[in-house]
Amino acid sequence: MEALSDNALMIKVRDGHLDTLGLLFARYKKPLFGFFYGMNKDVDLSEDLVQNVFYRILKYRYLFRGEGDFKTWMFHIARNVNHDNFRKNKLRHKDPIENWQDRLGTEDNRLSEFKKDDELHLLSVAMEKLPEDKREILLLSKYQDKKYKEIGEILGCSEGAVKVKVFRALQELKAVYTELEKYN
Amino acid sequence: MDAEKIQELLFRYNSGQAGADEIKELETLIADGFVQLEDIEGFERIEGNILAMETPEPSSSLNNRFYQMLREEKKTTASTDWRASFNWNNLIPRFAFAALTLLVGLGVGYLLRSPAQKEQQIETLSHEISELKEMMMLSMLEKESATDRLKAVNLTQGMDQASIKVTAALLQALNNDENVNVRLAALDALKPFTKDSQIREALIRSIANQKSPLVQVAMAELMVALQEKAAVGELQKLLKDSETPSDIKEKIQESIKVI
Repeated sequence: MEALSDNALMIKVRDGHLDTLGLLFARYKKPLFGFFYGMNKDVDLSEDLVQNVFYRILKYRYLFRGEGDFKTWMFHIARNVNHDNFRKNKLRHKDPIENWQDRLGTEDNRLSEFKKDDELHLLSVAMEKLPEDKREILLLSKYQDKKYKEIGEILGCSEGAVKVKVFRALQELKAVYTELEKYN
Repeated sequence: MDAEKIQELLFRYNSGQAGADEIKELETLIADGFVQLEDIEGFERIEGNILAMETPEPSSSLNNRFYQMLREEKKTTASTDWRASFNWNNLIPRFAFAALTLLVGLGVGYLLRSPAQKEQQIETLSHEISELKEMMMLSMLEKESATDRLKAVNLTQGMDQASIKVTAALLQALNNDENVNVRLAALDALKPFTKDSQIREALIRSIANQKSPLVQVAMAELMVALQEKAAVGELQKLLKDSETPSDIKEKIQESIKVI
C-alpha cells in the first residue's frame, strides 16, 4: 500500500491528530538536520533547529491549507528558523569566510587530512567557505531534489531566478574547490 | 539566440574565456531555460558530490525532545478543547438542535405508535365482546322460551370465528331442540362454519334424525350447496323412511341427483 502523502498527513495534524506529526518527523528529521548541519556544521545547534521547525509546524498547523507541497512549506519554515537563529547569533556567524581555515585544522595535519579524506571532504570545506546565501541555495537544491519552482516559492522568487542563483553558487563553489585543490 | 551561438558561448565559458557580459548573457539563457545547469562543465559532478556528501546522524535526544514536545502540545490542546466545549455560544445551537430532534422524535414516535395501539385496543375489545356473546348465547340456549333460544342462535351471526363450545351448542340445538324454528335457525347459523370437516360430518349425521320436513328440505339444500357426496347415504335413509312426506321425498330425490 502506498504511504499516505505528506500533505494528507499534515492535514490530519491540522485537524487535531497530533500524533500523525510523528510520521512526518520520521520522514524529514534527517533532511532537515542535513540542511541545518550544512549551514552551521554544528550537531547540537542543528538538532535544536530541527526541533524548532517541528515546534513551529505544530504551532502554525492551522495555517497549512494543503494546497501547496508540505515539504516546500516545511523548508520555508526551516529557512526562517535558520535566519532567526543567524540573527540571534550574529557574532558567531559574523564572518564564516574568515573562520573556515580554522576548521581545516592546523598546518601540520591539514595535508594528511586531505590525503586520507576524499574529494567529498574537500567539497564540504569549499561549501563552508561559500557565503551563507549561496550555501543555502545549494542545500535547498539538494534537499528539494532540484525542484527550482518549489525553491522559488521558499525564497519568494521565480524559477529562472533560482536557476541563476544556483548557477552563481555552483560557479563560486567550483572556483573555491579548484583553489583548494591547488592549495592542497 | 540560435543553438550554434549558445554552444559557442558555452564553449567560451567552459574554457574560462567568457567575459562579464557573456556570463550575464549565459545567466539569462539559464533563467529562460535555454541552457541547463548540467550543460556547464563540472557542475553535474559537483552537484552529484553535494548529494553524496554525508551528514552525521541526529542523536536520539532529538527524537526524545520531539516526542516530549508533542505530548505537551497534546495536553495543552486537550485542555483548550475542554474549555472550548463550555463556550455557551457554541452550546446554545447544539442544545436547540438536540431539543428539536428530541421533540421531532417524540412526535414521530407518537404518530407511528398510536394507530397500532388503537388497533390493539379494538382487537382486545372485540375479542371481549365475542366472548361475552358466546357466554350469553350458551346461557340463553338453556332457556325454556323458544324466542330466547332463537335469539341465542341469532347471536352467533356476528361471530367470525366460533369456539368449539358454540358450534357444539348449535349442533345440539339442531338435533334436539323441540322448536322447528330454532332448529332451522341453528342450521342457518352453522352454515358459515361448514368449512370445518367435523361440523360437516356432524351435519350429515344429523340428517337422518330430522323429522320436520322443513328442516329436511333445508338440510338437503345445504348438502347440494356444499356438494357433499357423503350425505347421499343419509338422504336415502330419509327416502326409505315411511314418515317422510312424498313431496319432500321428491325434493330429496332431486337433491341426490344434483349431488
